Amino acid sequence: MKIFTNIKLAATIAFTHMRARLKQTVIATAGVTFGITVFIFMVSFIQGSNDFVQAVAFEQSPHLRLYNEIQTASSNILDRAEPDAINAVSHVKPKDILLSLKDGPQIVQELQKDPRVAAISGSVSSQVFYRLGSSSINGTINGIRFEQENALFNLQAKLVEGSFKELSTLPNSIVTGVGLARRLNVKTGDRLEVTTEKGNNFSVKVVGIFKTGLTDIDKQQSYASLNTVQRFLEVPASYITDIKIKLHDMELAPAMSGELQAKYHFHGSDWKQDNSALLEGDALRKMIVYGVAVTILLVAGFGIFNILTMMIYEKMKDIAILKAMGFSDTDIRWVFLIQALIIGLTGALMGLVFGFLATYGISKMPYKSDVMITLDHLPVSFSPVYYVTGFTFGILTTTLAGYLPSRKAARVDPITILRG
Amino acid sequence: MNLIEVRNINKYFDQPTRMQVLTDVSLDIEKGHFVSITGKSGSGKSTLLYLLSTMDTAFEGSIRINGEEMQGKRNRWLADFRNHHIGFVFQFHYLLPEFSVLRNVMLPALKLARYSPAEIEQRAMDILKLLGVDGQATKRASLLSGGQQQRVAIARALINEPLIIMGDEPTGNLDSQNAAIVFDLFRQLSSERGQTILTVTHDDDFARRSDKVIHLVDGRIAG
Repeated sequence: MKIFTNIKLAATIAFTHMRARLKQTVIATAGVTFGITVFIFMVSFIQGSNDFVQAVAFEQSPHLRLYNEIQTASSNILDRAEPDAINAVSHVKPKDILLSLKDGPQIVQELQKDPRVAAISGSVSSQVFYRLGSSSINGTINGIRFEQENALFNLQAKLVEGSFKELSTLPNSIVTGVGLARRLNVKTGDRLEVTTEKGNNFSVKVVGIFKTGLTDIDKQQSYASLNTVQRFLEVPASYITDIKIKLHDMELAPAMSGELQAKYHFHGSDWKQDNSALLEGDALRKMIVYGVAVTILLVAGFGIFNILTMMIYEKMKDIAILKAMGFSDTDIRWVFLIQALIIGLTGALMGLVFGFLATYGISKMPYKSDVMITLDHLPVSFSPVYYVTGFTFGILTTTLAGYLPSRKAARVDPITILRG
Repeated sequence: MNLIEVRNINKYFDQPTRMQVLTDVSLDIEKGHFVSITGKSGSGKSTLLYLLSTMDTAFEGSIRINGEEMQGKRNRWLADFRNHHIGFVFQFHYLLPEFSVLRNVMLPALKLARYSPAEIEQRAMDILKLLGVDGQATKRASLLSGGQQQRVAIARALINEPLIIMGDEPTGNLDSQNAAIVFDLFRQLSSERGQTILTVTHDDDFARRSDKVIHLVDGRIAG
């Protein structure tokens, strides 16, 4: 109780000091406000664009993918025939394997029952040439079951014209990426030729055009029904090359990928592997933001440190007189620490408000980009985590900046000052 | 009854070189007395006062005030002791310039927190009235004349009803008329209220009219 009244008294003295130096106090507070505002603004903006880029990329990449890959055999036939001899085989050719997943459709059905799996799709993908007139463009064709693939990638939302529905009803129909359509100068209803790796030609009709926002996909990919692509490739209906899985909890993907690879002996990869460069970039950008924010706050902290130190030099006499009256070292320390805390608290709170206003402002700003075609406003994150972090940062810096001068004030020797 | 008992005090200054300021000083001050410490400058009179004020803790020997030993006490305890029992009046008034006159007087009592703020304000007004400066109560301390400021400083020293009022040349910076007023105030407090007063002065007239004079010569009590 006594401590409480002591601090309250110290606070009233602190307030009187600050009122007498209103201008300096306001400037110090503005410094903190500016630091926190910039922090909130930058971190929200950068996080917003990170989130946006990730959302675009992740929407096109499944959490988990199973596939087969051409690879060199780990042992050669000579070693197996003559295990005791020393065998040298140079220039081992890659094993000719089927890219199809053995028992693919059964595995899809089995995994559908797994409680961790939110959606799953088995598909065939193959390299093809798209031909129209004399031009021929290299690309990929995906044979999908629309309902399954849509559950994973929300394809319907990316349709620009036409429809996916006709894929299953109209044989030899495809939906092409917007970039591909532009390069071939085709639109919905037009026909073009598709040539497979084996050299078979098929005439197909464009029934729709999609746009994902990822240029690489949009300019070389197309979708057709699973049956259509299987027919193009002259393979049976059980032939699928990819199993794509969406999980309820995407963090489980790496562990589950290992589990499924061991169980089915396929290759596997997860979203963290597929987007490792992107994720690393996020982490680096965040480090830069925190670096800049900490620097700004440090500068603001030096401002507070300066003002309090100067105030203490000016107030030496007052400190001595307070000590003579019976104020203890601790009481004096509180007088100056409270000033720092008030500056820090006010500055931080105002910084949060201005930071929010600034981010809100740019989130309303229209923004067009050729690369990020699905973007119409600047992407901004309003995650409360950054507000909590910014506030904590602000209070910590100002407390530290106030602590050192206030300790100095507490150590002032009253006698040397009172004796003059 | 002795309010202050000083036994065999030795005090050294270490800067710029080690030198002895007080040598084997012993003295007693009775309750209710008006005591002056005199001596030439450099005789150690201020040093002695600040030792008795409990603000200077680096000394050899023993100082007992109101039966309590001051040697080896911690800062917080000493601050609390000053707050309760010692009132100060300095040569250069030393009011806090940003605070009002009333607030200056109230501060030690607010720190003591024996009474509620409303009661403290009432008591502060009463003391200001007693010293004839109640008309200035709401003004900022820095706007008062020297004599008025010193009277406010005395009011501040009195607010917690201390055992002792200590003065470091309380009239040293005042014209003769104001000096006379301040001296009369001290005299009055001592005789009418039984207030113990201890001041350092080199005003011989001031010293002659006090109850007891402690004269220091080269850090020793003379006579």
